[in-house]
Amino acid sequence: MKRNKGMIILFLTPAVFMFSVIFLYPIIRTVIMSFFKIDGITDPVARWQFTGLANFTKLANTSLFRISMWNLLRIWFFGGIIVMSLALLFAVIITSGIRFKSFFRAVIYLPNIVSAVALATMWLQYVYSPKFGLLKTVFTNLGLTDLAKIQWLDNDHKFASLLLAYCFGMVGYHMLIFASGIERISSDYFEAATLDGANKLNQFRYITVPLLKGVFKTNITMWSVTSVGFFVWSQLFSTVTADTQTITPMVYMYMQIFGAGNSITERNSGLGAAIGVLLSVCVVAVFWICNHLMKDDDLEF
Amino acid sequence: MKKKIMALVMASAMAVSLTACGNGASDTPADTTAAPAEDGSKAAEAAPAGDGSELVYWSMWEATEPQGQAIQAAVDKFTADTGISVNLQFKGRTGIREGLQPALDAGTNIDMFDEDIDRVNTTWGQYLMDLEDLVKGADYEATANAGLMAACREVGGGTLKSIPYQPNVFAFFYNQAIFDEAGITAVPTTWEELDAACAKIKEAGYTPITCDDAYITCMFGYHMSRLVGEPKTEEIVKGGQWDDPSVLATAQAYADFASKGYFSETIASNVWPAGQNQELAMGTAGMYLNGSWLPNEVKDMAGDDFVWGCFSYPEVEGGTDGTDAANYGAQVLAINKDSKNADAAFKLICYITQGEFDKMLSEMSVGIPADSNNSEWPQLIACVKPVMDSMNTRYPWAAGAEANADLTPIIKENFLKLCGGSIDAQGFVDALKKAGN
Repeated sequence: MKRNKGMIILFLTPAVFMFSVIFLYPIIRTVIMSFFKIDGITDPVARWQFTGLANFTKLANTSLFRISMWNLLRIWFFGGIIVMSLALLFAVIITSGIRFKSFFRAVIYLPNIVSAVALATMWLQYVYSPKFGLLKTVFTNLGLTDLAKIQWLDNDHKFASLLLAYCFGMVGYHMLIFASGIERISSDYFEAATLDGANKLNQFRYITVPLLKGVFKTNITMWSVTSVGFFVWSQLFSTVTADTQTITPMVYMYMQIFGAGNSITERNSGLGAAIGVLLSVCVVAVFWICNHLMKDDDLEF
Repeated sequence: MKKKIMALVMASAMAVSLTACGNGASDTPADTTAAPAEDGSKAAEAAPAGDGSELVYWSMWEATEPQGQAIQAAVDKFTADTGISVNLQFKGRTGIREGLQPALDAGTNIDMFDEDIDRVNTTWGQYLMDLEDLVKGADYEATANAGLMAACREVGGGTLKSIPYQPNVFAFFYNQAIFDEAGITAVPTTWEELDAACAKIKEAGYTPITCDDAYITCMFGYHMSRLVGEPKTEEIVKGGQWDDPSVLATAQAYADFASKGYFSETIASNVWPAGQNQELAMGTAGMYLNGSWLPNEVKDMAGDDFVWGCFSYPEVEGGTDGTDAANYGAQVLAINKDSKNADAAFKLICYITQGEFDKMLSEMSVGIPADSNNSEWPQLIACVKPVMDSMNTRYPWAAGAEANADLTPIIKENFLKLCGGSIDAQGFVDALKKAGN
């Protein structure tokens, strides 16, 4: 036993040490930084100015930050509903024994392997173009002139346009997770249900959904984490300067740490750290709520 | 017990060795791409000044960009002439913006770097070496652009800490063919003249002015600065003094233009580069307020027959600033104050910013030369020369309109709406007041 303990320590120490250095130390440092005013992200501690909760109160009082949090909430909630619904629908179709399954799966997943820059350029400069855009052409051909006139990238429509473009690229990823979850469910259950006279809808309602609880939890957690880190698409939809319809807390954080746009603006890495702390709290809260709402431990299959 | 201690010691040794690997990696620059073909023996024979190590240069460009290629050529020649090897690392815009300061703070050996004049002198000011003596010793200013050297001294706090190259100026760029067709014989110098010119262009069947979301705040800043000067504009933007009459006056001027149909129909939804590419370069719009890099950016779309014109933002009635004020500047090269190779670094700066390679940089990037001996500007931007030469007062980026990062997106949103005609001048002021800070 003594010998075992030694071995445990021997093998655990490097991992614990690395974990402390790579994860624990930055987390603790970030939390501490959020209480200071810090110009440069790597400024020595001697130059930090303690400001207490000032960073958090400034965030609460800054309308742009509140706008960014509102945008994040909208992306998470509405985007979540769109992506999860479509992903689940496609996953069910893909796993239902249709022909050319691999082909459809590849097509739906395809946007994930195309660079976000290329995708965003396609949406911005082609699909949404008020001059020769795909939407304009389609609506004009259908005789829907009012819809054809909409400028999809003006302030009133920019958020919806961004969300649509983003969701388009995200469905495939979550579909794969759902599909793998569905494929894990033994076909015996479905066969038994079919013999008992259950139709496809009932099979989905009473077999697939309950047995996918854990996968739902995984998907929602993954979606929350990627939503909180929403940055690239926001940058692509508003190059150079941020936009009220596309700004997210991550973009706001970047502006505070590295300066905004082409201007030389005041920087405060402490404020950036405070945003990081707030976002972490959000993710933990979502994870906690998911864990409590969806207990998947009661089913074994 | 002995075994336990032994296990602990071994585990610690393992952990230390692992972290030691990490340290080792960070001591040497991780990115060794684009280092010039180094002839080790040659470098050893003709060791550079200082401690004899190679010169490390972090650049804001990408290796594939024209600027990066010209700088690479200058570095290659420098190494061939002097035997001093240069570790040239192209970091790209965001790479240098995010990575330079942490690298310098961590003690990474970087002798010289380049970026925008304001960022280098303001954000990274504490890392810069004073270059006055080096400049004097080399009689560098004999062929340097006096206005830009003065600008560098101004942002350097009265002393020279950076050397300008790739100068630029932010002004109205226009399509000469549209101006000719509309019968505009002289560039507008006042707001009224701009109004008249726009009327003629509209009459001729073109869109007078277009813009993109990325640059729309510049129009607001320029008009404000023409009215009350840049320092006051910055004060208003930073302090949220939206009751200042200049804000409403600016909004009214633009609302007036919007009501006359002078702006592109899609100005409120133009996401960069839609306006500059699909309207200006395609010949459907007449003017665009932008930097002197614009002709280069759209040259492939505009075609060889596109003739560019340029004029400074017009004066406005009762305003403080004239057409000799604009956001003009340059990228600058600076030397790390802790560099042991300052002489060699300055020599390389001379290679890049003077003579043959300044000319090459100018030609390859269709940019303004920094060396006054290179008096021949690329044809595409020859129109910028009179504007650049007329400058006396320097505005920072967007003429102060983007000085408050918390408000830039809100100004942008509402100015786009104002130009698009969905809100009026008072609505613009009210929206800014509502946003507070």
